[in-house]
Amino acid sequence: MASALEQFVNTVRTSSSHGNFRELCEYINKSSEILIKHSQHLDNVLETLDIQQHSLGILAVLCAKFSVQPAANSTDNRFTQAQDFILNCNGEQIRFAPDTFAELCHSLTNYLVEQKQPLKGIVLLQKAISKLRLYDSQLTSIHADLCKLCLLAKCFKPALELLNIDITGICQELTQNPNGPQFDSKYFLLYYYYGGMIYLAVRNLDRALYFFEVAITTPSLAVSHIMLEAFKKYILVSLLLHGKIQAIPKYASQVVTRFIKPLSQPYYELANAFTSNNTAELNAVLNKHSEIFNRDHNMGLVKQVSSVLYKKNIQRLTKTFLTLSLSDVASRVGLSSPVEAENHILQMIEKQQIFATINQKDGMVVFRDEPDKYSGPEVLKGLEEQLSLCMELDRQILAMDEEIQVNPQYVKKSSGLQDEEQPKSTYAM
Amino acid sequence: MAQMMLQNAVEPMQVDAPPEDNDNNEEDNYVVENPTLDLEVYANNYIGLAKLYRLLYIIDHCPSLKLEALKTAISYAMTTYNVNLYQVLHQKLAEVTTSMNVPDVAAPSTSQDIPTIDNLWMETRSKRAALKLEKLDNDLKNYKSNSIKESIRRGHDDLGDHYLDCGDLSNALKCYSRARDYCTSGKHVVNMCLNVIKVSVYLQNWSHVLSYVSKAESTPDFSETQSKDSNQVILTKLKCAAGLAELATKKYKSAAKHFLQANLDHCDFPELLSPNNVAMYGGLCALATFDRHELQKNVIFSSSFKLFLELEPQLRDIIFKFYESKYASCLKLLDEIKDNLLLDMYIAPHVNTLYTQIRNRALIQYFSPYLSADMHKMALAFNRTVPALEDELMQLILEGQIQARIDSHNKILFAKDVDQRSTTFEKSLLMGKEYQRRTRMLILRAAVLKNKIHVKSPQRDAGQTGEITVVPF
Repeated sequence: MASALEQFVNTVRTSSSHGNFRELCEYINKSSEILIKHSQHLDNVLETLDIQQHSLGILAVLCAKFSVQPAANSTDNRFTQAQDFILNCNGEQIRFAPDTFAELCHSLTNYLVEQKQPLKGIVLLQKAISKLRLYDSQLTSIHADLCKLCLLAKCFKPALELLNIDITGICQELTQNPNGPQFDSKYFLLYYYYGGMIYLAVRNLDRALYFFEVAITTPSLAVSHIMLEAFKKYILVSLLLHGKIQAIPKYASQVVTRFIKPLSQPYYELANAFTSNNTAELNAVLNKHSEIFNRDHNMGLVKQVSSVLYKKNIQRLTKTFLTLSLSDVASRVGLSSPVEAENHILQMIEKQQIFATINQKDGMVVFRDEPDKYSGPEVLKGLEEQLSLCMELDRQILAMDEEIQVNPQYVKKSSGLQDEEQPKSTYAM
Repeated sequence: MAQMMLQNAVEPMQVDAPPEDNDNNEEDNYVVENPTLDLEVYANNYIGLAKLYRLLYIIDHCPSLKLEALKTAISYAMTTYNVNLYQVLHQKLAEVTTSMNVPDVAAPSTSQDIPTIDNLWMETRSKRAALKLEKLDNDLKNYKSNSIKESIRRGHDDLGDHYLDCGDLSNALKCYSRARDYCTSGKHVVNMCLNVIKVSVYLQNWSHVLSYVSKAESTPDFSETQSKDSNQVILTKLKCAAGLAELATKKYKSAAKHFLQANLDHCDFPELLSPNNVAMYGGLCALATFDRHELQKNVIFSSSFKLFLELEPQLRDIIFKFYESKYASCLKLLDEIKDNLLLDMYIAPHVNTLYTQIRNRALIQYFSPYLSADMHKMALAFNRTVPALEDELMQLILEGQIQARIDSHNKILFAKDVDQRSTTFEKSLLMGKEYQRRTRMLILRAAVLKNKIHVKSPQRDAGQTGEITVVPF
């Protein structure tokens, strides 16, 4: 019994010292069953291995430990061991087994969620991500875990640091895949879904909409629940931000229009009521489907949508009126009393969403044009910032284009085409 | 064959009412109370199914004319082979008489001249229809065995006519279309097109109507000899049919253009439209969609359409008042003719849209020369209360049709000057943001596709449903 483990330790040691990490990975993948079978002796194995030199071995042992429930009488030291490992392991080694490393992080995340201690894992996962990824804008499946923990802990800053970096590359974790290395689409969707929720929590609607849009335009052949939920939130956020449902990009897969749209019918009804600018109708839809909205955990957003409608209607008034009495405002917007209308307008003036003055003597609101805001050096600075952002993106696209131009496969294919054409043309001559 | 025809005759499902009644039931549920329509004159404008369908429309929408219309329709139906429609009409009549007799016993005189259902007539009529069908069918078979093209074409046409007379539209359409293969001259082609157009209008298949109109117009013989008198008749028919189809598909401007090309001297199309209809449809569509210059050039100074307008003096007054900017009287006249329009099966679904468009056009035209306008005066000019006018103006401003803002305190409408500089700034900043967003999405998508990320494989579905339960909140 112990001999199997001894053999495992010996193989790990010799392969590590010879630097045969690739072979070691294959061996470890095969030996995971042995480790699980001997789970009670795994602590002994850990003691014989060195974190820096035998990172892959320890990784395998820890994964095995997380996949079995510890015996009731023994103390649960899995978290401390995992913590120690993630902080001190050898990054070069674990990059040979990114899938196992990511699996360890997923298990750790689930463990912390079960223990209701999400805060503990945030720093660890940050470290784990920085060890696994090759460059800052590379996506790993641990990103999704970190976002999940941040959401649960309601501590968004660490996640925002990651989310604010636009992803340009994706870590190919599933090295064992028969179709070549891949990335699990589940974690991709989860990252963008959780990311969108985090941006929602910090009231960055623009970015949230972007994240949900990425989630719903992911190529797909089947209906994913993550996509469905992202789609529902996409509708709500798009109402909040633009006042209507943004057109779904054409490159979104057919699954979205064919299956996901019919599944989100209550949200479409809400959107229709919203675009009709009729508060009574909106409230009717809200009451009618409140059970569904509650079940989807979207009630908060739905309520925001309904309160935004008042603001939207007031803003429409500023476009059409120079002066209007408070009671007229109330009746046109659908508020119950002039006092309520006054409150809404006051708030909006304070937030600079409209430019108006209230004359309390005769109860009139005077709407003004926006003051000239495009003058002065700040505008110029803002413009230059935007310009440089655009130029940076443009450079990126050019670089990608160049990369394709010099890609051997591409060159071969395009030149191959020319070869075929050339004899044809000479033949014609 | 005769048996089948008999079965058809007792099967009320075959053709019972104009199909449009099923299509837009919701829009059609209104009742017209006080029409000033002279039913007899109106009905005499049409023949064939057009007459019956138009009467049916009135029966369904106007209680005060219902009985009279039913009587006219039934007596006319008896001159055709349309036994189904006859039955339907009698059913409707029965509904009217029962509902009338219960509350209103004091009027027995009316019930006397109510026609009773004539079962004998129905039976002999169906038999005769079947016999005629058989004869026509035999004739056609003979022609076919002799393979004389012209006779076969006529045979098909006759059969089509008969089907139409029985109210069997789909078979009529089939027969008319079959004649197409046996057309030997351009005249025949045009004739075939006209037949198909007629049936398609009854079937309310508007795209079919339009395609056959263009087919007829592109027939070589027809387009060459356009100046001839008989061709004028055909041309007017085609224009009217096209206009009707455009009207039904809510393309009011092209409908107006088509109707305006009709010629009164050659307007003889009782199977579809009366000249009065052409005037009304064309005039209203033009008023709703043409700008001032177009209205002057194509309607008011149009020598041919002027004659049409003389048929409908009210409409002529409306157009002239509109052109003279006397909007109050123009709108008042419009309201006066509204009831009658609502009884016209083709324009009734569009009356409200056309009316609002005309009103909006008037409002825009009224304000166009001013920098500021007193809304009290404006309300007077438009027959409206000030608050109602305010609502209308608000709608127009939001739609961007009037560049203005309302001073609700002093009830003055001010033209708005747009600050070009800041809108340019806004637009360019927005464009930049949009570019950034798109480009980011593009880069990310390139990465996604490169890594072949795909949501697929049903066995993973279980994992995903499991995952969703872990979603926080």
